[in-house]
Amino acid sequence: MNYNAYESNTTYGGGGGGGFMAEGSQNSPSGQQPKHETLRPVTIKQVIDGTYDNDSLKIDGATASHLCLVGQIRSIAVQATNITYKIDDGTGSIEVKLWKDTDFDPDQGPTAGLVEGAYCRVWGKPNNYNNKAYVLSNVIRPIVDKNEVSYHLLNATAVHLYYTRGPLNGSRGAATNRGQQQTDANYGGETMSGYSAVTKQVYQFLRSTKQTNEGLHQQEIAARLGLDPAQVAKAGDELLSGGAIYTTVDDQTWAIMEEM
Amino acid sequence: MDYPQTPRILAPHLQAFQHKTVRMIGRVVELRGETAVIDAGGTVDVILNRDSHLAPGHAVEIIGKVDGNLSLKVQAATDLGTDIDFNAIHAVVEATHRHKEIFYDG
Repeated sequence: MNYNAYESNTTYGGGGGGGFMAEGSQNSPSGQQPKHETLRPVTIKQVIDGTYDNDSLKIDGATASHLCLVGQIRSIAVQATNITYKIDDGTGSIEVKLWKDTDFDPDQGPTAGLVEGAYCRVWGKPNNYNNKAYVLSNVIRPIVDKNEVSYHLLNATAVHLYYTRGPLNGSRGAATNRGQQQTDANYGGETMSGYSAVTKQVYQFLRSTKQTNEGLHQQEIAARLGLDPAQVAKAGDELLSGGAIYTTVDDQTWAIMEEM
Repeated sequence: MDYPQTPRILAPHLQAFQHKTVRMIGRVVELRGETAVIDAGGTVDVILNRDSHLAPGHAVEIIGKVDGNLSLKVQAATDLGTDIDFNAIHAVVEATHRHKEIFYDG
């Protein structure tokens, strides 16, 4: 079988593997670990109740490096270097500091419409001074469609439940995690339906066989399973187009696509 | 100054939140001068203050105190217009009480 049609996939697969390594080396000059950055929707109560560990805020045990929150502006204080908004979302209130440019005019540009009583959405970093939480903001914008308030609160609830109870049952992520934790007998049973018996056999072999990052070559799979190479090629074709595996060093070398 | 927590509730929760400050979104059904009636999963009598400007048919968010007669005494009212999805409002109230750890103390 000719795999030339998959040339672009090869680049993608190889780049994906290499990209991950490159990320580490890009950061290595400073000697720092790559930082895990998140942007999390939260209620103000969650920010106030969160714990600080080495200056980073943890909510439900997960580091929240950036936040977004939605609330009503209760007061506005224009300072020399920033504007401090007191934001109230019904779950608590918190100070949000927005740095201002030298040519700042509160009635022009993005801060126009940020008046007392108005609902707004805030993006920023959580901070803590004398055990008082506040947010250093990059962007604040007024909320036009008030349904965004409901949306944000439900979004914050969903993310909270994700961190406290895990992903929803029946989602692909949950199914795969279960599969990985348990024995091979249970691997991806839900996701593999629709594939032929040979394809399933190849997938299971790829999944259960010790291998390097490069995965396994088509010929090796065929030899060790005692299958016709053409059958294995066909199985690989199906698995590639289904997104279950990806090509690594060449079109005939495959590795399992792991879901995060 | 810190602002008190104002749990989001609907008409059926009034009894449980008597004498507490709450937040309620409803549709304005009737205006009677110094009082009003809103529909928030059931009708609720609202005692207005001088600054409340309610419009019939509009959604309104009220921050207020539940009194002994289960009326809502307005401290602040925000007009939310006519495009509010009340199913989402009800879902938020349900989430508030089911997962109150991220919404209110007590």
